[in-house]
Amino acid sequence: MTAIARRPVSRHTAPVPAFAELFEHEQQHLPGSEAAALDAWRRTRFARFETTGLPTQRVEHWKYTNIAKVANVAMGLASRPEVKLDDVQRYFAGGPLARRLIFVNGHLATELSHVGGLPEGVVIKGLDVMLRDDPDRVLAALAEDRALDASGPHSFADLNAAFLQSGAWIEVADDIVLERPIQLLFLTVGEASAVMTHPHIIVKLGARAKAHLIESHVGVKDGHCLTNLVADYEVGAGARLDHDRLQLGAAGTTFIGLNRIRIGEKGELKQTVATLGGTLVRNETDMHLQGSFIEAQLNGVYMPIESEHVDNVIRVHHEQPDGHSDQFYKGLALDKAKAAFAGKIFVYKDAQRTNAFQTNNNLLLSDDAEIDSKPELEIYADDVKCSHGATCGELDPVALFYLRSRGLDRDEAESLLTYAFAAEVLERFTDPAVMKLAQERLIARTPGGANLTDML
Amino acid sequence: MATALETVQDYTAKAYKYGFSTAIESDMAPKGLNEDIVRLISAKKNEPEWMTEWRLEAYRRWLTMEEPNWQKVGYPPIDFQEIYFYAAPKTKERPKSLDDIDPDIRETYNKLGIPIKEQEILSGVAVDYVWDSVSVATTFRAKLQELGIIFGSFSDALQSHPELVKKYLGTVVPQGDNYFAALNSAVFTDGSFVYIPKGVRCPMELSTYFRINEMNTGQFERTLIIAEEGSYVSYLEGCTAPQRDENQLHAAVVELITMDDAEIKYSTVQNWYPGDAEGKGGIYNFVTKRGACRGKRSKISWTQVETGSAITWKYPSCILQGDDSVGEFYSVAVTNNAQQADTGTKMIHIGKRTRSRIVSKGISAGKADQTYRGLVRVLKGAEGARNHTQCDSMLIGDKCGAHTVPYIEIKNRTAKAEHEATTSKISDDQLFYCRARGISEEDAVALVVNGFCREVMNELPMEFAVEARKLLGISLEGSVG
Amino acid sequence: MLTIKDLDVSIAGEDKPVIKGFSLEVKPGEVHAVMGPNGSGKSTLSYVLAGRDGYEVTGGTVTFMGQDLLEMEPEERAAAGIFLAMQYPVEIPGVANSYFLRQAVNALKKARGEPAMSAADFMKKLKAKAEEIGIRPEFLKRDVNAGFSGGEKKRNEILQLAMLEPRLCILDETDSGLDIDALRTVSDGVNALRTPDRAMIVITHYQRLLDYIVPDHVHVMADGKIRKSGGKELALELEEQGYEGLLGRAA
Repeated sequence: MTAIARRPVSRHTAPVPAFAELFEHEQQHLPGSEAAALDAWRRTRFARFETTGLPTQRVEHWKYTNIAKVANVAMGLASRPEVKLDDVQRYFAGGPLARRLIFVNGHLATELSHVGGLPEGVVIKGLDVMLRDDPDRVLAALAEDRALDASGPHSFADLNAAFLQSGAWIEVADDIVLERPIQLLFLTVGEASAVMTHPHIIVKLGARAKAHLIESHVGVKDGHCLTNLVADYEVGAGARLDHDRLQLGAAGTTFIGLNRIRIGEKGELKQTVATLGGTLVRNETDMHLQGSFIEAQLNGVYMPIESEHVDNVIRVHHEQPDGHSDQFYKGLALDKAKAAFAGKIFVYKDAQRTNAFQTNNNLLLSDDAEIDSKPELEIYADDVKCSHGATCGELDPVALFYLRSRGLDRDEAESLLTYAFAAEVLERFTDPAVMKLAQERLIARTPGGANLTDML
Repeated sequence: MATALETVQDYTAKAYKYGFSTAIESDMAPKGLNEDIVRLISAKKNEPEWMTEWRLEAYRRWLTMEEPNWQKVGYPPIDFQEIYFYAAPKTKERPKSLDDIDPDIRETYNKLGIPIKEQEILSGVAVDYVWDSVSVATTFRAKLQELGIIFGSFSDALQSHPELVKKYLGTVVPQGDNYFAALNSAVFTDGSFVYIPKGVRCPMELSTYFRINEMNTGQFERTLIIAEEGSYVSYLEGCTAPQRDENQLHAAVVELITMDDAEIKYSTVQNWYPGDAEGKGGIYNFVTKRGACRGKRSKISWTQVETGSAITWKYPSCILQGDDSVGEFYSVAVTNNAQQADTGTKMIHIGKRTRSRIVSKGISAGKADQTYRGLVRVLKGAEGARNHTQCDSMLIGDKCGAHTVPYIEIKNRTAKAEHEATTSKISDDQLFYCRARGISEEDAVALVVNGFCREVMNELPMEFAVEARKLLGISLEGSVG
Repeated sequence: MLTIKDLDVSIAGEDKPVIKGFSLEVKPGEVHAVMGPNGSGKSTLSYVLAGRDGYEVTGGTVTFMGQDLLEMEPEERAAAGIFLAMQYPVEIPGVANSYFLRQAVNALKKARGEPAMSAADFMKKLKAKAEEIGIRPEFLKRDVNAGFSGGEKKRNEILQLAMLEPRLCILDETDSGLDIDALRTVSDGVNALRTPDRAMIVITHYQRLLDYIVPDHVHVMADGKIRKSGGKELALELEEQGYEGLLGRAA
């Protein structure tokens, strides 16, 4: 009798040799490389990246994105091109008093940044400085977050760790209410050859602390550039974080972002994300509600045009009772674009009386575009209220008719409804300047949007 | 006073009513699987050469495939060499009339409440009786023949209408479609075959009653239903198995085909032995069911009430090819004790103005885990396609799980898809209200659950609805919460 | 018929008592009105008598027709003849009103060792009762209370009351949310059920209902116990002076 034996099918693809060559070459030049522990940690993570490889679309949460096509190619580490203040000022947000770190291709541009007048108990620093001055603390902080990595190694988090070079370190001590917003402005300047950058943001809010963080990712020059960001946000007990993220990527840019959020008892988070540019944008969020009575709101709008591709993956973990989370995401796909959303709510066994909601509404505005939506629930506690809703369709014909019966022509009416569909999310931005920048970009992307400019 | 949950847990699980086994001499092939076994099965059934080759092709594909692991169920690896792939009641010949049936088999079906007789409890329903994957009897055959309807065992059809079988077999679920479908294609022993000619409205419900009897046998039946232009048929499927400590594998394939303006309504009440309260024994139900709406304005409607099996893994699906065709999926799944179910549907919109509707009601109790997994895919040419999905889960007790995994993939701008899902526990207020009116807690749970499922129950043919309603109550005994 | 002695009740899991030393004696044929401001413990009393979860009896006894009521499950209490018309009747989607009532009627008959009612007899009786209370026949086919207006829900409670023919009816704020016409029909329905062997406890905030359902005894409840008892004139007195005036003096 023949034995029935099978080979397991691989769901990952091996990295091109260029990664190993680059790592060998750059590794000793990375900040803090003289610290043995940090150096060892980088090597371990790179080794794991090599063993794991890059995910293919057979990996469930990469189902809608063929990442290997853009990420598994030979790339150098990005250099630091010159950028003039005048060119970037228009992306400033948070008001005149905002504290600001500006990064050019992942490198902190100290001369453009401004973090003066910090109250005691508040630290805002470039991560490169921290890596040089206090690598052990950085490692300790990263170790805490690795514990969340339950679903196995994350290829891009490993790659980020291996090339860890820059980013932001923000700490707000217990009971400090930071009135002035902090803006992290990441500028991408295309270079002659393909490059990548691996920034890392670490934000720690102590108990009852409050802060408003603005994260802007702006492409100022087209070109093949991969930004592989890992961000860790820790919101302490009773603390509150308002987080605005605006993504205005340029042509040729790939953005892969992994956000890990941990919230303590009675903590609050409001996050709003607008993705309005970038050839490929992937936003992955892992949010853990680690205490009871937490309020978390995740808002997002994404509008890829031409052949852009946006993929949102959100996992909300209700670990403790009496938590409330709300995901409100809207997608619009034009031209040949693809827009995907996969949101998952986990309710753990002990998380009784959880209220968790999720809405994903989509507008498909072209015959060549594609919308994918996967709203998922995984529930192990019985006294819960959880629901999700997802829709996909074109503009509401009744609304179109209504506008036309009031005298708008068909194109105007369509532009207006398209804009309004997306703008509903933009209104949730905490910072008015971010909202305005997003609205401008939204108008520029809306077909016939020129007619709408007086709306602002 | 006991809470609803405690009361549920206090119930002792009512014994599975259909758990007896029957001592019948069986003709069995040796254990295990290889090409010789596949050939042996084909030879036993006196099949034409092309059919043997078709099976071997499936077997060879199966060897290259990986057992799926994406579904949210857990079970120890299946040792395919420990399974008997062929078991049939030993009779010299197939009974010529209903009177010739082995009295023990006849008695078994009597005990199951579906006597092999025309015009009794199931008057107006024609039944095909499948015993360990072999069809043993079919009622009302003659009457159906007058209308040109072919209804009977798959083996008979292969002898009497090989051209029809050859034309349609594997056209909806190809041999290599998935691991268990490939396995079925290689080793299926029998099943039902239905052909409704052009313009004929089948005057009665057609029904197959599946019974697994032998130990360590796999049940691999294959059903093929073809509804020609303008025809209609309502088909019912019921299943039970003896109570055994070992797990038994059931890997069926069902293919439905509708031509222009035809309609197939396919209803299942699945009550395979679920295993005991600790999860020992029970059927592994790994089934591929798929319908192709090939014709314009054709319709396929799946209704399922899933209360049995240790593990259920099935996704009755519709491929909506014909313009204006309609696919429906109505499902109630109840899991209690250690049962696991991963079930749902796929609706593939290809034709213009195709419509689909999904209503799924999941009830999870005890330590059971249940997943709804569904795909709605609208291809580029599916102008004006519509989908509506409603997916509700009810949890009874704090040790069970309920999960929802819908995929929505849209490539046509004029399409519209809506998905809604909720998860909540059975309402203490509703239970108290019923009890304050004198209704016992057990009955109150059944009442509330039946109300929760009514939208689906309404889709079942009358004969089935009553049985299904009782089954819901029985399945939840020992679970209340 | 019903004897409540020194009853103490708190919400399960909380220490704070809601009912403190409450006593009441109800004889067959009597109608008792229990009035009180919000938070006085009126609704808690009705739930404790019907056997709802979530309350802890920390002291006292309740005897109904010689049985220890507190030891009984809600359905046993219903079978013994207790009926609570709820302030907020519960919706049960997917279950037809008539089906629900038939289940209930036959459950009670079974508990009392009586034969079940045939579907035909049941429908005949149900239709007659519904007509008396001013309920349209199509209403019986709708799901239990689902999508009913406030007034419809209250009428439905009275229909259940009429069908189940209990010995003791507890009407919890049956007048809330009713307009004057609905109030009259509902009261007529209740009055039709007044017999020498049936007793009622009418819980209400306002005197208005008592114009229609005239009580034999009126009790004013505050802070978990009866503060003042009297005849039907006490309700009028209360109407004039308000709870504060009346209870201030009583205290």
